[in-house]
Amino acid sequence: MSEKINLTLKVWRQNRGEEGRFETYEAKGIDTAASFLEMLDVVNDELTLKGVEPIAFEHDCREGICGCCGSLVNGKTHGSHDRTTLCQLHMRHFKDGQELVIEPFRANAFPVLKDLIVDRSGLDEIITEGGYVAVKTGNAPEASTTPIKKELAEAAMDAAECIGCGACVAACPNGSAMLFTAAKVSQYALLPQGHPERTKRVKNMVSKMDELGFGNCSNEYECAVACPKGIDVVNIARLNREFIKANLGKS
Amino acid sequence: MSIKTSILSSIGQKLLLATSGLIMFLMFLIPHMGGNILFLFGPELFNSYAHHLHKLVPIVIGIEVLMLISITVHMIIGIRVALANKKAASTRHSQKSSAKRSFAARMMPVSGLMIFIFIIKHLLDFTFTQKNQVYIHDEIGYDVYEMVLYRFQDPVHVAFYILFMIAVGFHLSHALQSALQTYGIYVPREGSKIKIASAVIATLMAATFAIIPITAFIR
Repeated sequence: MSEKINLTLKVWRQNRGEEGRFETYEAKGIDTAASFLEMLDVVNDELTLKGVEPIAFEHDCREGICGCCGSLVNGKTHGSHDRTTLCQLHMRHFKDGQELVIEPFRANAFPVLKDLIVDRSGLDEIITEGGYVAVKTGNAPEASTTPIKKELAEAAMDAAECIGCGACVAACPNGSAMLFTAAKVSQYALLPQGHPERTKRVKNMVSKMDELGFGNCSNEYECAVACPKGIDVVNIARLNREFIKANLGKS
Repeated sequence: MSIKTSILSSIGQKLLLATSGLIMFLMFLIPHMGGNILFLFGPELFNSYAHHLHKLVPIVIGIEVLMLISITVHMIIGIRVALANKKAASTRHSQKSSAKRSFAARMMPVSGLMIFIFIIKHLLDFTFTQKNQVYIHDEIGYDVYEMVLYRFQDPVHVAFYILFMIAVGFHLSHALQSALQTYGIYVPREGSKIKIASAVIATLMAATFAIIPITAFIR
């Protein structure tokens, strides 16, 4: 059974290159069965009718797999810490009359483009430095030709769950992209297909991450708490090992 | 990626911090704690320990040089990392930490700075200071036991030492487990035995060091 609730929103409004500020809006008669983004849709409809520019926010699949959406809601990435993206967060988790502070994912390496939309292309740039296998392999081969231990396959799949939403960067006290980079390095380091380029991959991706102004990892693990996909810090330990191996070995 | 960029990369700097920290912990802090405990067993044993320690000049100087290098590297890299981190996350407004964020981890730059202040004070108190001479095993040595007793007559001074030992405890409790994670030894977020061991070792160490000024004050 859904009910209707009223909320007060304090939303970050900012145009590119200008100073940002919080604006307060009332969200009236919100269905508790609605998702957080649907709630913003309703508010935007009303703003449009009033002649106010709608709140800009990023979204695409709205089923928690594309990594487009994401904001800080009351200081927490994706609104809560239970492995949920903002689009999959439902309004039943909020109380009638509650005030919600909605702010974009913040980091020096994530400049605000507009309102709640930040430029996360830094993550794409890290991928460009080696988050792929450069050899074209054609169609999927027969599964038994390359036997892979179940534990390794599982661990690689766990790492590959990362949707690149940037919550780890926004939650990190240092604005670091270590969990993201670790997940991307891990998914290839664990599988034979990724091995020929592993040395080059880890060096280039870490180097790009540093160059873009992401912070350093101080092992506080805030990233893993925030991750909507439950990416674990075991990947950061693996990234560190890969980095040490890459620099000690002959390349 | 050249060696220089590798060393000054985010992970490279973390490895330098971890290594210089572990060198200080293993080569200095543990032996220093072992020596200090002897204070509890009275003047003869403690003075004799100090006397024999000073006979091992090459080893002592070797370790002193190693400590000077480690502390310099640890501080320079620590400050670099702390400043870069502050800059990388400088644009936030409503950000909240999770309830699981550790106090010790958050306070690393502060406790580190406190330890630096403490080291200077500690050296002025006990190393670069006048010591009375005394006969130890028919040789002339220094009465360091008497010096420690004398220094800790002032309760404010004792409190200062205890406060700074708490900083050492917090610093170590994050440092030990964090160093292992940096070396690539997985330290899980929850229910980690390494994290518990790290906290226990840090607490025991801080407590052992803090017992010396307390004992001296009581005696």
